[in-house]
Amino acid sequence: MVPDAGPPPITIAGASKAFGAVPALAPCDVVLAAGQTTALVGPSGCGKTTLLRLIAGLEVPTAGTIRIGTQTPAEVVRDAGLAIAFQDPSLLPWRTVRGNIALALTLARRPADPAAIDRLIALVGLAGFEDHRPAELSGGMRQRVAIARCLATEPRLLLLDEPFGAVDELTRLRLNEDLPRLWEARGTTTVLVTHSVAEAVLLADRVLVFSARPGRIVADIAIPLPRPRHRDQTRTPAFHALVDQVTGALWTHGTGDRPLAAE
Amino acid sequence: MIAAARAGAHRLPGAGLLLALLIWEGGASLLGGRFLVAAPSEIVLWLLANAWLVARASGTTFSAAALGFVAGNLVAAALAALAFLIPRGERMIGALALLVFCLPFVATGPILRVLYGPGPGPQITLAALAVYYTSYLALMTGLRAAPASWFDLVRSYGRGRAQALLHVRLRAAVPYAVAALQIAAPAAFLGAMVGEFTGAERGLGVLTIRTTRALDIPGTWAIATVAATVCIIAYALFGAIARRLAVAPVATILVAAPPATAHNWGGALRFCLRVVLTVVVVLVLWQGLMDAFALNTFFAKRPADVWAHLFAAPQAATNRVTMAFAYWQTMVLAVPGYLAGIVLGAGLAAAVVLRPGLTATALPLAVALRSVPIITTAPLLVLLLGRGAVGTITITAVMTFFPTFVACLNGLRQMPGQVQDVFASYAATPRQRLIHAQIPAMLPALFAAARMAVPTALLAATTTEWLATGIGMGTLMALSASTSGYGTLWSAVVILSVTASLAYVGVEAVERRVLRRYAPEQLTG
Repeated sequence: MVPDAGPPPITIAGASKAFGAVPALAPCDVVLAAGQTTALVGPSGCGKTTLLRLIAGLEVPTAGTIRIGTQTPAEVVRDAGLAIAFQDPSLLPWRTVRGNIALALTLARRPADPAAIDRLIALVGLAGFEDHRPAELSGGMRQRVAIARCLATEPRLLLLDEPFGAVDELTRLRLNEDLPRLWEARGTTTVLVTHSVAEAVLLADRVLVFSARPGRIVADIAIPLPRPRHRDQTRTPAFHALVDQVTGALWTHGTGDRPLAAE
Repeated sequence: MIAAARAGAHRLPGAGLLLALLIWEGGASLLGGRFLVAAPSEIVLWLLANAWLVARASGTTFSAAALGFVAGNLVAAALAALAFLIPRGERMIGALALLVFCLPFVATGPILRVLYGPGPGPQITLAALAVYYTSYLALMTGLRAAPASWFDLVRSYGRGRAQALLHVRLRAAVPYAVAALQIAAPAAFLGAMVGEFTGAERGLGVLTIRTTRALDIPGTWAIATVAATVCIIAYALFGAIARRLAVAPVATILVAAPPATAHNWGGALRFCLRVVLTVVVVLVLWQGLMDAFALNTFFAKRPADVWAHLFAAPQAATNRVTMAFAYWQTMVLAVPGYLAGIVLGAGLAAAVVLRPGLTATALPLAVALRSVPIITTAPLLVLLLGRGAVGTITITAVMTFFPTFVACLNGLRQMPGQVQDVFASYAATPRQRLIHAQIPAMLPALFAAARMAVPTALLAATTTEWLATGIGMGTLMALSASTSGYGTLWSAVVILSVTASLAYVGVEAVERRVLRRYAPEQLTG
């Protein structure tokens, strides 16, 4: 990590992606402000995950460019400046909770401070499970290990691909409330892909709504709710108005020109 | 990019093969026949000169292999059905199937020859024996391969085991069955050829013996090439059928081990009881079957005869010394060969993935070479490497190397979830990937390969001894078969089968410990 580097903005300039002849993401132009949390929502297969993978450097755009600050994604990846969590926690089954979190530091070629790792484990509410293996944990717990692994390298950029998609509603609500505090405090730039409109509104400063494949941004909605966010906010009229606005955008554009039944 | 890699995978082996042929030709002409290497051109000339002979022999061997292939797979299906219908009997069926699979071909060949008389009986039986156990394991894994939710779905409509079998298990087992047939095809051919070594009238096995005895180098190489080609074609054919049926290739079909036993005294006691029960059942079946078919006690020795030969008879002490000496001679070469093959296979697989370009070339080549019945070239390899330890160790190592290499290459790709992407997001080096993800993920495949290679290694070592080096258990069995020393023969069968079974079970025990840590999901269900 570069010590003095603040969280970078993400500049996406005409980036598009096609897999063979199949276009996944239409040319996309947007700047994601430094230190903000941006949620990407849209129908299945609209390319929001593709955009996230482009930002993570896991895919290369077919056309256009992506800059994180002044760097390319590949350069950011090279000095372990970002971390990504997937819907599948993707833990190594033969490593303990501690070992899985330490892996990120090993890969980033940084010294692993056992005390810091244990603090992180306590922070995601897994104190006492340090030496358990993934097979001995519940789905929600595994997901928290994956998030802790992401945070271990103190990334400037955090990418979350439906990380709470596979956990139960109650755990999801709790994770939604607890985990953002961990990165909000550092002002990390965060990009979140989600299917849940309520989750997008609760977590994000800005929601980008995508159309059906090939995805393009059809609505750009600011979420001016006060921080830190709390689940009580989900009961306010302001919250509901924003959820309606995002849902409306999804409903108008998200399904494309065809009726849903034709999908 | 993926499409390009696929295209590369199909294009490169052709180039690799061509290059290998050129090196082979060049090398052979450089060596000038000094090291018993025949050049491709000499092989082609020999084949042209003996076209009719080779065609007839190939037809004979092929039909024996095909019949054995069908019979072996039918037996495997019947055993799987039995084990599935009587879940309590599954362990016993598995243990008996393993023991029969571990019978040394060098001994079963001559015994079957006496039983059947002249004709293709022994070849067909050995071909069936060579395939049935792998197919049985694959079918049992396949029948369990469906996710639990599918069974719940069937149950939620009020249907039971029969409907679950019909709609879920049989369908889920199809990829496993196809993969098993693919592995079985070359194995059946190998079994048929080994069967022909034991006194058939015609066939590629007979030609192999004849050409090696006559030191006909181009002839030996030509037969080996024909056998290899037939095996590769059979293997590729079932691969094509698998693709046609659109079943995903099952890379590690033999990985899943049976449910782990409890690690406590009760578990240990139950394990001991099971072993005792298995021994009793084996002895009863052995005695009972021979009595039922009224087999001649001269060649069909009963358990008591073996006991007498080794312990009760006046010359038992001498018999034991002979046996122990031969056993020592075999093991001292088979064990290093086995281990060398496993270590080289795993090591080379790990090295190959560090060069991603190489995998595309190495995997299809290794898959092709795995199906080559290397054992049929044993006499040649011994001529090449000498009658000392190196020859036998090399042949044993080569026999265990290819299956291990292929299994490990596939195992190296078995990443949980999106672990590959996690590594990519930290710009992990290929070395980091290998050490932290790929090698641990490869371990289940490595141990499955090591387990299946146990009988293979003993087959390779004893066959080499018999055909070429003239020492050890292989020669002892062959000599006692030709001199009607059936007491010695049956004792050797018992000792080698028990050795192979115990080694197999031992590797399996280690495998389970490894699986518990490295792939816990494979032990459930």
